[in-house]
Amino acid sequence: MELVVRSADREVRIAVEPLGDGRARVLLRPAGGGEHEARELLVEYRFAHGTISFLVDGRQYELATSERGSEAGATRYWVHDGRRVEEVEVLEPLAYLARRETRQRGGGGTRRVTAYMPGRVVQVLVSEGTRVEAGQGVLVLEAMKMENEIAAEHAGVVTRVLVASGQAVEGGDPLFELSTESAL
Amino acid sequence: MQENDSPRRDARSCRSPHWYLEPRPTDSGTATSSATPSGHHPSEPGLTFRRLRKVLVANRGEIAVRVVRALRELDIASVVIFSTADRRELPVLLADEAYEIGPPPSSESYLRAAAIVDLARRVGADGIHPGYGFLSENADFAARCEAAGITFIGPSSRAIAAMGSKTESRRLMLEAGVPVVPGGTEALADHDAATVAAAELGYPVMLKAAAGGGGKGMRMVQREADLASAFRATTSEALASFGDGAVYVEKYVERPRHVEIQVLGDHHGNVVSLGERECSLQRRHQKVVEEAPSVAVDSSLRRRMGDAAVRAAAAVAYTGAGTVEFLLASDGQFFFLEMNTRLQVEHPVTELVTGIDLVVAQIRVAEGEPLPPEVQGVEPRGHAVEVRLYAEDPYRNFAPSPGRIELLRLPEGPGVRNDCGVLQGSEVTIHYDPMLAKLIVWGEDRPQALRRLRRALGELRIEGIRTTAPLFLDLLEDEDFLAGRLDIGMLDRKLQSGDWPPRRTAGEPGTPSLDSDLSLIAAAICHVQRAGRSRGAPEAAQSARRRWHAAARGEALRKPV
Repeated sequence: MELVVRSADREVRIAVEPLGDGRARVLLRPAGGGEHEARELLVEYRFAHGTISFLVDGRQYELATSERGSEAGATRYWVHDGRRVEEVEVLEPLAYLARRETRQRGGGGTRRVTAYMPGRVVQVLVSEGTRVEAGQGVLVLEAMKMENEIAAEHAGVVTRVLVASGQAVEGGDPLFELSTESAL
Repeated sequence: MQENDSPRRDARSCRSPHWYLEPRPTDSGTATSSATPSGHHPSEPGLTFRRLRKVLVANRGEIAVRVVRALRELDIASVVIFSTADRRELPVLLADEAYEIGPPPSSESYLRAAAIVDLARRVGADGIHPGYGFLSENADFAARCEAAGITFIGPSSRAIAAMGSKTESRRLMLEAGVPVVPGGTEALADHDAATVAAAELGYPVMLKAAAGGGGKGMRMVQREADLASAFRATTSEALASFGDGAVYVEKYVERPRHVEIQVLGDHHGNVVSLGERECSLQRRHQKVVEEAPSVAVDSSLRRRMGDAAVRAAAAVAYTGAGTVEFLLASDGQFFFLEMNTRLQVEHPVTELVTGIDLVVAQIRVAEGEPLPPEVQGVEPRGHAVEVRLYAEDPYRNFAPSPGRIELLRLPEGPGVRNDCGVLQGSEVTIHYDPMLAKLIVWGEDRPQALRRLRRALGELRIEGIRTTAPLFLDLLEDEDFLAGRLDIGMLDRKLQSGDWPPRRTAGEPGTPSLDSDLSLIAAAICHVQRAGRSRGAPEAAQSARRRWHAAARGEALRKPV
């Protein structure tokens, strides 16, 4: 099964073929690329004590993955290479197709952004219908005695604001809806 | 001087080696600072000393662990308090006794001064160690302990109160001949008074809340036009944060370092300096990395700053461990900032370069022991660096990252010390300060200490939440940090510049790099493994079963039945 795996700046297709005994054949293909760009890697890996140890041509790499939740065939992971934590999303083929279709239909997918922890909404920075750039602040949430700006993860339109300033929220409560641009 | 006949305080115990956690430095140079000021009566009248047998630790997290460790080594019974959120945490697990003090919010648990003193009395604790934060600099709490006949392990409530007020402490420092940043010590009546005072000092100036601290309630003003709004904002912020709207103005020192002096005072009129800590690496006035000694301080400056710090502490008859914070200008001038009348978060760097166990020292002083003579004249040995590991994402504006610590693997090996307050499986909640642990390293010199820090951070694994560890790895590649070119605004400037840390280039552009793909591969493999597990045919379990069967067969063949 070929998975679509994406991080903030990359998207690849990965097929993992377990060969048993902690070895696997990994087929990597750039998301938009053809078969000729595919690469094949033989990796040896072990789930160590909470991390994964890879041996590739004798070089050892230790990575830790932490599952951060999943939704309709898309699972989010944090992958820590000992240096940085990368947010990686793994999409099953059907989930990927479904997502692409929504985008192609031009309606643009709408994502509901939720509070990642309990807190209080200090300020809503935009009104419904505002077009925002990636990284632009949408609202300010106070949690753990600190004010945190919740920014748009991608460019789009804030279609609905579901909270008002001063409102207390629980972790997981929806804050606003952000539609993606219609272009693929 | 009060004496009792506790056998502990004979000449032998005065030179007790147990003040030290490491071999003490042999150097006893002239860089010492000490004071036995004439005319100051060191001890509170009527204060009697006794050996402590049971001490209540009024704190949580790593500092509660640190204090419990010291108590255990001194054979003093330890009592901890815990909120319902902390029942399973390390301080409780290490202590002799533990009592629930309330629900998670601090105001209903760790800040319940009266309940804590009552509890101490009920369980027969004869001392209370406040740690840092919470009630540690609360003069009323110290007074409450004093009134209840419980030894507060720290300075007198009067010393806390005097240093707790910025205007009062500035006045005291001026009297004691300690240099302070030029400015008024009086709270400003209104905006007009502020305008006059600021014009006298010359811009830029700093507006500060009289009751403020920890970097809160201050504002830099570049020119007169901005003064009115800054005055309004600082006043209302001071009122909201500290319940006191008093504001004063002082000269703004450009790009200063934050260098602080650790002092130690006893009840016999002795105050000594244990040298400086460099704490310039700050984010929004909160310390991030601390080291000792400072690259900007030589023996002569150390002596001058130490002398000033000792005068500052002696002015309030300071007892126990305290810290006098200074701004150090690039021309070597230094100015009193404030005195922290408690143990500091960053105390381990001083411990590592002086060998003195500061928590033990606090306890011994509270028991009435005089400072051992050798603590005078301590010159730093080697170099120590501490990084504070917070549950925050340094590259998402330090957003808090609560959650469960899925994996905790602390670095070990030569020169590495962990003061850690969490366990694998601990839940980091939103109720408390998000500092998880401190990683402290010692090296013969600064370059070795920094290499060791890089090595240790490479071993560190904290999974399940974000931490500030990546920030330190990036700092260890930063030329300014490596060269020791620090000032209190340096980190904020870098973080706000938008191009720091420099992007790592993962191989040549266009060519696929294994390093960058491996995290994607790891996620895919983890995903496949998980899917396999949920289908009930996990590859790992299968092969384990095969191995087990093979082993069992082997056993059966060897064993005569």
